[in-house]
Amino acid sequence: MTDPAALTGQRTSRWVLLLHTITFRQARALVPAVLALGATRGFDGGTVTVVALVVGVTLLSLLWAALSWWRFSYAVGETSVVVTRGLLSRSVRTVPLDRVRGVEIEAPALHRLFGLVRVEVDAAAGSAGATGEELVVDGVSRAEGDRLRARLLARRAVLVDAAGAGDVAAPVEEPEEVVTRFDPRWLLYSPLVGGYLAVPLAAFGALFRLLEEVPDRFVPDLDRPGLPDGTLAALVLAGGLVLLVVGSIAGSAVVNWRFRLVRRGGSLIATRGLVTRRHTELEIDRIRGCTVSQGVGMRLVGAARASALVTGLGDAARRGQLLPLGPQDQAWALADRLVERTGPLRRHPAAARRRSVVRGVVPGVLVLVAGVVLTVLAGWWPLLVTGAVLTGLGVPLGLARHAATGHATGPRSFAVRSGWLVREHVVLQRRAVVGWQVRQSFTQRRGGLATVLACVGAGSGGYAARDMAADEAADFARAASGAWADTLDPAR
Amino acid sequence: MSTALPAPVREPAWSLSRSAISLWVAQGVVATVVEALVVAALIVFVPSDAGLWTVLVRWVAPVVVLVTAVVDIGVQPRLRYRVHRWEVTADAVYTLTGWLNRTWTLVPISRIQTVDVNRGLVQQLFGLATVAVLTASSQGTVRIPHLEVEVARRVAEDLARRAEQVRDEAT
Repeated sequence: MTDPAALTGQRTSRWVLLLHTITFRQARALVPAVLALGATRGFDGGTVTVVALVVGVTLLSLLWAALSWWRFSYAVGETSVVVTRGLLSRSVRTVPLDRVRGVEIEAPALHRLFGLVRVEVDAAAGSAGATGEELVVDGVSRAEGDRLRARLLARRAVLVDAAGAGDVAAPVEEPEEVVTRFDPRWLLYSPLVGGYLAVPLAAFGALFRLLEEVPDRFVPDLDRPGLPDGTLAALVLAGGLVLLVVGSIAGSAVVNWRFRLVRRGGSLIATRGLVTRRHTELEIDRIRGCTVSQGVGMRLVGAARASALVTGLGDAARRGQLLPLGPQDQAWALADRLVERTGPLRRHPAAARRRSVVRGVVPGVLVLVAGVVLTVLAGWWPLLVTGAVLTGLGVPLGLARHAATGHATGPRSFAVRSGWLVREHVVLQRRAVVGWQVRQSFTQRRGGLATVLACVGAGSGGYAARDMAADEAADFARAASGAWADTLDPAR
Repeated sequence: MSTALPAPVREPAWSLSRSAISLWVAQGVVATVVEALVVAALIVFVPSDAGLWTVLVRWVAPVVVLVTAVVDIGVQPRLRYRVHRWEVTADAVYTLTGWLNRTWTLVPISRIQTVDVNRGLVQQLFGLATVAVLTASSQGTVRIPHLEVEVARRVAEDLARRAEQVRDEAT
């Protein structure tokens, strides 16, 4: 390993000082304290005190930003990257280059104004999903960011090509191939996706809270328009719907603006965002599988999203995205490039369908029972009706959930699918499996069913085929992983 | 339908130490004592004219405690002991845990990342330990509970050594 002392550290760009002063990046923690102080002592002096406070806090912020900038340095050596920081206590962090799992370059709006980027180095060791193991170099020029990324990820190339010239700092410009380019028309799918619908709803909520804070004397006294009540309600409803649709499209556009997925050498690079540009690099070697997920609304119009399951990638749900939103054919074409597709899914047996319907009906039945009790005791029937409706809806829900489940094995991969609200079809490579878990509840045992969970060191950590026929479990595990799974075979 | 359906997968070969039964009984006793204290406190503090609540606290709660005590002390430990199994084969660690709901877990030695031996407070009283085998997956952890300390130590050492020899790509 490189001796940390032998490396000359590099500072981040000076412009970052200005940036951090403006945003009170370090001094932000002081604001509540200052406010509390002001509240107890009272802002007696009026304008003068307030101005003095603002100037004081800004100066303090500048000082703090300057100190942090001065004490922060980073260096990339032959075998490791070293980051030194800390105002009073020094912290030196050394991460071996072969531990670097991914590099993300982010350019928030203000950073872009100064031509700066933030580089996040993902060096999660061990279990997937750990986000603590991250190095952040905030505020280097775009060119320096690209150079850093190239050097941090160049180690692999050197290992592969041991006879190479060893010029790590200047990797050969590899040809780029555009895999996906976001078509703005795909934004029209956004109102059908739950996550994007939440954007305008949250905005409305914030707006209403703000309106309530406004003192009454500032609220204009609007005359009620001379419309009948029904028409007014319909207008408000229609207006709300239009705002919801427009808001979700706008929200989705901000996040997915000019999404592009390119392949360069052994990596996939995703770029996107209107205000904050994100640049995420995934190693193809570390990809173990793909998910294609579709919500209820997306299924109606044939839309889908696709994500890669990458080992050791922190914040996998966001970073693994290959296609944030698009036609399902595109999503599947992407998945097929990374993982071999399996044959058609094998459906789960009739006992699984019964179990699924029972699970769907149970909440409704509970409400129904409570409703019966209330009707008999207090003569209050609305709950009874609600229970009956819920029970009725539980049947199609259970059937739909059952219809979504299935599993399949192929020569080099396997697949599981589940979920009705969001249907997730996961295709995994055989080598992805690090363990198997077979679960059987009391009722599953009586129905001859079992849930088989493939433990995977990527994505959510495990992918289950729920309620498959119990006697197929061992064969599925064997076909989906390797000879070691023969241990499960009941005939042995 | 009877419960005579065959298990979906093979049973691991070895059973746990018999001390595990005593440990589970002890845990059941502790839980029962705590529950009984809570119910006793409720009986003291809930007034006798609180209608439905009085009935619940005076009659239903003690019955619930009694039933759970019988299950936790009399039934569950023996049933668990009959169900729990473990095995280390030539290339994998394999366990079966649970009593009503059952879970079989299989992890190949080539994918083991770390092996821990844990000794809880109650476990120390009975001279037992748990071997935890961790992989790259947060859900792919095998726990072999309640082995005799000496056995647990040997198993952990053996697994760690073999994992080092056969490790391919442990992710």
